[in-house]
Amino acid sequence: MLTIIKNTFREALAKKIFIGYYIFYAIVILIMIFLVNMDSVEGVMSLTDSKMLVHQVETGFLTISWNLIIFFSLISTASFIPSMLEKGTIDLLISKPISRPMILISKYLGAVLFVFLSMVFLMGSIWLILSLKSGYWDPTFLLSIVWFTIAFAVMYSIVVVVGLTTQSTVVAILVNFFLIFVLCPLLSVREAVIFSLVTNETVKFVFDFLYYLLPKPGEFRDITTALINGETINMWKSTVNTETSMFTVSWLSPISSVLFCFVLMAYSIYYFAKKDY
Amino acid sequence: MHVIETQNLSKEYTAKFSKQKVNALNEFTFNVEQGEIFGLLGPNGAGKTTLIKILLAITFPTSGSAKLFGTDVTNYKAKTKVGYLPENHKFPSYLTGEQVLSYYGQLSGMSTGADMNKRIDEMLGMMNLTQWRKTKIKKYSKGMMQKLGLAQSMLSDPDLIFLDEPTDGVDPIGRKEIRDILAQIKARGKTIFLNSHLLSEVEMICDRVAILNKGDLIKEGNVDDLTRAENIFAIHTVDALSMDIKQKVLAIDSSAGIGEKEINTEAGIDKLNGIIDTLRSGGVKIQTVNQKTSTLEELFINVIKKDNTN
Repeated sequence: MLTIIKNTFREALAKKIFIGYYIFYAIVILIMIFLVNMDSVEGVMSLTDSKMLVHQVETGFLTISWNLIIFFSLISTASFIPSMLEKGTIDLLISKPISRPMILISKYLGAVLFVFLSMVFLMGSIWLILSLKSGYWDPTFLLSIVWFTIAFAVMYSIVVVVGLTTQSTVVAILVNFFLIFVLCPLLSVREAVIFSLVTNETVKFVFDFLYYLLPKPGEFRDITTALINGETINMWKSTVNTETSMFTVSWLSPISSVLFCFVLMAYSIYYFAKKDY
Repeated sequence: MHVIETQNLSKEYTAKFSKQKVNALNEFTFNVEQGEIFGLLGPNGAGKTTLIKILLAITFPTSGSAKLFGTDVTNYKAKTKVGYLPENHKFPSYLTGEQVLSYYGQLSGMSTGADMNKRIDEMLGMMNLTQWRKTKIKKYSKGMMQKLGLAQSMLSDPDLIFLDEPTDGVDPIGRKEIRDILAQIKARGKTIFLNSHLLSEVEMICDRVAILNKGDLIKEGNVDDLTRAENIFAIHTVDALSMDIKQKVLAIDSSAGIGEKEINTEAGIDKLNGIIDTLRSGGVKIQTVNQKTSTLEELFINVIKKDNTN
């Protein structure tokens, strides 16, 4: 397993897209270093002010960049599965004394682990810069590394299943783009937006069904920001206050997303184990 | 225990769009013993690669069973002592030659360390690739890639090696080197399963061959036995043959080819003896009597033609 994970890392580092990926990270870090100003006019900021400002910067950063970083991470790792399935590569891999489920799980974990370490670098750097600048050391922001990695792992299970069945990187990316930027955000606010336009109960049921069925990558961000800001998190149902447009996320979102990931990975393993190459 | 053993192995493919069923293998039963170099021959689409893929569990049979070293091929542990060089193999282009061997060595169950490094050194040396060990393989030529592939298949010192077109893209000198390496491996008691289009090469290397056509096993046997033409004999005489003798010979075998000092007959042992008796009674001195042999290529073409006609 470690051999395949290690090779997945090599494959990732050999891809030119990762240079772009890390240039993007470096720019974000430089912005944090040079453009985020934590000094007050008098010179010293109160701890409460510092705390508030740090939370605002952290929340703002996550709100703006979360989906974008997930999508970047997916683009850069989406080719791992189709390239593994190429003729001449897969034959050799399967001919080795390793079980097929182990091959697929190792490849999946390799990609997830690589993104996790990239997040340790990015989020860790941002946290360090903000803490040094403000003097306020709150490790809650570091939870974003874990939540981001889980969100990526969930979305990457879609890449795996699409990659296995279509052997196409492009289709895997397009499906994820549609889910991350169109369908999932729309389903999250279905009660406030769609249900105000639709009265048919069947249509409402379909939207509700899709919401609970599909992963919710954006709501992982909402969980993270709620934890940073000490806000309420509902247990079972995310809600939108129609008057204030305030969205309150629920723990059901990550739970159902992770379940979705398990189901998809189980299907992928079954499919891969039975497929003729 | 056989190294390879199959029982009524069949594989049926269904065409994607037409849904037409195609038999890639039909009730294929055969065994390969330890220390043999076994050649698999057949025209394109005969089922050769399908058979290798089933034996390595890359593809699953529709029915029948296959075993390696007595273990069913669906158990991945059956591949512990197996090496494989696929046709048109593709190694990760971002690795160097040395890293490729290390990667696939580890996948074969080898541990990293001094022993593996020593084995990598040996393999690279054997393939004349030592000076290219630190070079990324995207810079390798087709022949170098093939040699690296062969090194990869032998790295873990497997007892059984599957080679699918091992000399493809290799120059004549390289081919000779590969043949010598295969002979060395055989001398160490290893079993080689070879799939090649180069029949002259198969004839030189293999002990036993099987000929497949349209998924059926149509001929199997020892290379020497198969290439020995069963009833074709050539008689060479010391003296020139007289007209009288020639007529007597033609009376025994009307289709015999008669030259000045040579008679070729395909009429079987009895008529051969009749011809010899006629020559002897006519006072003709016989220099040699030879059973003719055909090349594997001639045999292959004849057998396939006959099977296609049937």
